[in-house]
Amino acid sequence: MNDGKQLDRRSFLGLITWFIGGSIGAGYSIPAIAYIVGPAARKEEDQAWLRLGAASKVELGTPTLFKIKVERQTGWITNEKELSVYVLTENGRDFVAMSNICTHLGCRVRWIASQDQFFCPCHNAAFSKNGEVMDGPPPRPLNQYQVKEEDGQLFVLGG
Amino acid sequence: MIAKIANWFDERVGWKVIWEAIFLRKIPKVNWFYTLGSATLFTAVNQAVTGILLTIYYVPTPDHAYDSVQYITTQIPMGWLIRGLHHWGASAMVVLTVLHMLRVILLGAYKYPREVTWFTGVFLLLVVIGFGFTGYLLPWDQKAYWGSTVGTQIAGAAPVIGDWILRVMRGGPDLSAVTLARFFGVHIWVLPASLILLVAIHMYLIIKIGISAVPKKEELA
Repeated sequence: MNDGKQLDRRSFLGLITWFIGGSIGAGYSIPAIAYIVGPAARKEEDQAWLRLGAASKVELGTPTLFKIKVERQTGWITNEKELSVYVLTENGRDFVAMSNICTHLGCRVRWIASQDQFFCPCHNAAFSKNGEVMDGPPPRPLNQYQVKEEDGQLFVLGG
Repeated sequence: MIAKIANWFDERVGWKVIWEAIFLRKIPKVNWFYTLGSATLFTAVNQAVTGILLTIYYVPTPDHAYDSVQYITTQIPMGWLIRGLHHWGASAMVVLTVLHMLRVILLGAYKYPREVTWFTGVFLLLVVIGFGFTGYLLPWDQKAYWGSTVGTQIAGAAPVIGDWILRVMRGGPDLSAVTLARFFGVHIWVLPASLILLVAIHMYLIIKIGISAVPKKEELA
């Protein structure tokens, strides 16, 4: 307080008021932001190994469709979702598990055995049996799941 | 720099006059009881902020109300804090409103020329009680359900028109999805609109007329 500018009582109280007001404002805003972005910032739900079925059902060299029911928690609602997975094996030991969701706009692709390709009806996209794009607008190959075989049963990692 | 921007806006918007009228107005020498009205206004702002945040997740239907409230409290980050502030802020608002009213009664601040300020205050008290009554049902737990059952039953005890009032409040003979939806609608639209309007008049009059001084003994003679 020795320098030229002395802080008088009035400005001091003014400053304190702004400080308290600012603290209250921050005390609301910071929790509010956490509260609003909370569900979006949450990490993907814990992934688990989901049992598809017997590995012996997969025909050699042909993508085989497995459909399973998965429970999904969205907010406070639990609902059942169907997960469709195409499994391909060339030797009966190494498996590739592909999603049936087109990487273009999310339509469902299906295996057309006679043409030896996956076909998406929305924009006439075609994928090879390994999931590579052969024709149409999709930007990348079909998504793959991590897959493992245990005691003759196939499992994929998903949520 | 800040002063320059402030002046630029003041020249075009004229906010300084309003700022001075609200925050730099002259008041008589009074005591801390005269801050109860401001404290009540603060709780109102608290209820508005936390209430708006709660509507982001709350769903006013019988199948989702309870679960969405539990979801807010246990799953959403800081949800317990936002809900807690709204819950306890509601009680604080009722208590502060009544204390503010007592101060106005005991210090005679309702007298000429402040009668209209008092009238709006009476309606504000009713609005605050309405907020408490409608908000009580929204968590849709046992306490809420039976509290509102009894509360509407009490309204139904009024002579002649009692049964009609009860039916209008419940939206039918029983407490149902209709009751929950209309309590929610009243709680977040009707009452806030009334509150804003009444507070605006209340505040305008306080600023226009100025607050009353502490009564002196000589004035009694």
